[in-house]
Amino acid sequence: MVSSNANALGVIFANSYDNLVPELVAERTMASIPFAGRYRMIDFTLSSMANSGIDNVSIIVRKNYHSLMDHLGSGREWDLARKRGGLNIVPPFAERSVKLYSGRVDAIASILSWLQAQKERYVILSDSCIALNIDFNKLIEAHVNSNADVTLVYTHSEIPEGARNDNYTVRIENGRVIELLSNDYRPGVQNLATNIYVIERESLIQLIRDAAVRGLVYFERDILARNLNLLNVQAYQFEGYTARIADMKSYFDENMRLLQDNNVGKLFDSANPIYTKIRDDNPTRYLEGSSVKNCLVADGCVIEGTVENSVLFRGCQVKKGAVVRNCVLMQDTLVEENAKAEYVVTDKNVHITAGKQLSGAESFPVFVAKKHTV
Amino acid sequence: MAKEMIAMILAGGQGSRLYALTQKLAKPAVPFGGKYRIIDFPLSNCVNSDIDTVGILTQYQPLVLNEYVGNGQPWDLDRLHGGVHVLPPYQQASGSDWYKGTANAIYQNVSFIDRYDPKYVIILSGDQICKQDYSDFLRFHKEKNAEFSVAVMEVPWSEAPRFGLMVSDDDDRINEFQEKPKNPKSNLASMGIYIFNWDILKKYMMEDEADPNSENDFGKNIIPSLLRDNRRMYAYHFNGYWKDVGTISSLWQANMEVLDPSHSGINLFDENWKIYSRNSGRPCQQIGADADVVNSMITEGCKINGTVKDSILFPGVVVEKGATVEAAVVMGGTVIKAGAAVTHCIVAENVTIEEGAKVGAMPEGGLNIAEPGDVATVGSDVKIGKGATVGPKAMVASDVKDGEEQW
Repeated sequence: MVSSNANALGVIFANSYDNLVPELVAERTMASIPFAGRYRMIDFTLSSMANSGIDNVSIIVRKNYHSLMDHLGSGREWDLARKRGGLNIVPPFAERSVKLYSGRVDAIASILSWLQAQKERYVILSDSCIALNIDFNKLIEAHVNSNADVTLVYTHSEIPEGARNDNYTVRIENGRVIELLSNDYRPGVQNLATNIYVIERESLIQLIRDAAVRGLVYFERDILARNLNLLNVQAYQFEGYTARIADMKSYFDENMRLLQDNNVGKLFDSANPIYTKIRDDNPTRYLEGSSVKNCLVADGCVIEGTVENSVLFRGCQVKKGAVVRNCVLMQDTLVEENAKAEYVVTDKNVHITAGKQLSGAESFPVFVAKKHTV
Repeated sequence: MAKEMIAMILAGGQGSRLYALTQKLAKPAVPFGGKYRIIDFPLSNCVNSDIDTVGILTQYQPLVLNEYVGNGQPWDLDRLHGGVHVLPPYQQASGSDWYKGTANAIYQNVSFIDRYDPKYVIILSGDQICKQDYSDFLRFHKEKNAEFSVAVMEVPWSEAPRFGLMVSDDDDRINEFQEKPKNPKSNLASMGIYIFNWDILKKYMMEDEADPNSENDFGKNIIPSLLRDNRRMYAYHFNGYWKDVGTISSLWQANMEVLDPSHSGINLFDENWKIYSRNSGRPCQQIGADADVVNSMITEGCKINGTVKDSILFPGVVVEKGATVEAAVVMGGTVIKAGAAVTHCIVAENVTIEEGAKVGAMPEGGLNIAEPGDVATVGSDVKIGKGATVGPKAMVASDVKDGEEQW
């Protein structure tokens, strides 16, 4: 835990890139997509903020936010149930000024009066489609040292297939962003923006006001890209582990990637834990006859069958004779006797009945929607 | 606002027979069942029985227990009025005293109880593994119009002389109490769980305190006084799982029984009677490609690449490739390195067992949970050196050097 508190507040967009994973957000937000066995996507950004001493966080939600509200509660698990600051969830129509927004500018414009009333000097803006464990203090330090107006966080990565039509890349010279491109067609590793920014609160308010009166909608395209000469936009490379959800395939792949090369150790760090809602499950039981290899398993599971190369969320059951290979089973999935599942992603409370065979391919995992019975 | 019943948990016990496990913490804080501590059981029973005000009386090594209980949030006991309060002995204008006996511990906290103006007080033990619905116990107490009730369990007659026994009539009214008698007249053993009418308890505690020869103990002093005065005392029969894990072998046994809830053990898997605990906050367990896990319970933060059989692993235990863990209770943060063998034993928290070391041994005749035989024990933060051996009877509380043997 970092002892010095960052002089920053956090603003997290819960619904951005919902459009990339329509199956997964049918009844939830990008922020509340389950990931890595016991977490939701937002846990990573939110815990990073909490661990960096950011204790005043607004989460801007657009729609389908019931699961997210249920997950976050008062924010206690992240130590954000506070009198001063803490967690502030902003749904559309929360106040007269808050409308159903379409872009980030709109979204921030709807919380302008709240932003004005805060005291923190800096604002961290973030989406919730990337799982990462980032020290925001270092980011703020870099921002201050470079005299930047805005600092943008990027990673050296290929543009994920699913985000081909929904991404920003940057060209950097001496640390400064000189070009901000959307949907670059070139293949290979690029400077891929994470949509995580740090900016002074006062300047954010000013930029948003100026953009709003001009009817501009997108923060990147309309504010940053147009003004790279006027604004000192610095680039900050995040070199840690990232898992970016860009479509169903990448959702599957990113869960699977945690089974390799101690990637769990790279994403999770005992000094900076990722917090999540506690379910009070009992430990997982591996019963007589079970065989489990190369899996990430949450608590509360009961395994009697064979499970290989899979991620099991809390409370899954794999009965006798059942075989689960290369699957992601979300909370409380039940795989009955002698059923077989390969390359399957099950949403919460899915029930695969006895003897059924379900198989997708590595390039195209089968998805079973929430509460469905096969 | 008056409460109908509040709970007082006696959690001062040192648990001296668990020696290596209780050097740094009180017995109620001893880890149990993969992710719990013993105190989770009475606390969870309280909230599941709708008791929202709990005092925990601590005395011996309270740091771990205090920190663990905290504000009571994991048990839903962070309440506006009531909730959980840790009550250590304190200094008063008239002087200060350690808690002299069980009754004295309650007596010193009369003002805490009075604050809630309860009609009934339930006295619980902080070092028993038990799932019990105290609201049913209270229903019994009210039905009998009792002034004092005690939860009792039938024990085999042969074992009766080891217990405090309640002799009762057909209506369960108690007419005699025998403390560890040679010739038992009853096989109803007191579980040390009592419901008192608060006015009665208060009166008898006051009288007891005035007696300088009293040991201020419920069993030795208060209950005999109630009997003397022919108070309305009743025995409530409890048939569920109950275990006083006072010894290493009984603690090991109770853990092993968790693996087999349908036969012998406590059922931790009951959605309607959850046992709550403070969460470790670690990521999921990782079961590696070389792991072989059978009939075991594993929890958050564990990393398994070796063989784990008939065992219970607590948060963050690492079992490296080629290591074997069998019939063992391995507590949080312990690392078992390649080629080490950990068998039929209890290993406490944050222990390092180096490569090729051997801890414990399977008794001749194999695993027998009912008659465990020798259970080796390693205390917390100990390092067992490379190739070292810890014999099946050993209780290790300090580092064992490379190649050394301890029997």
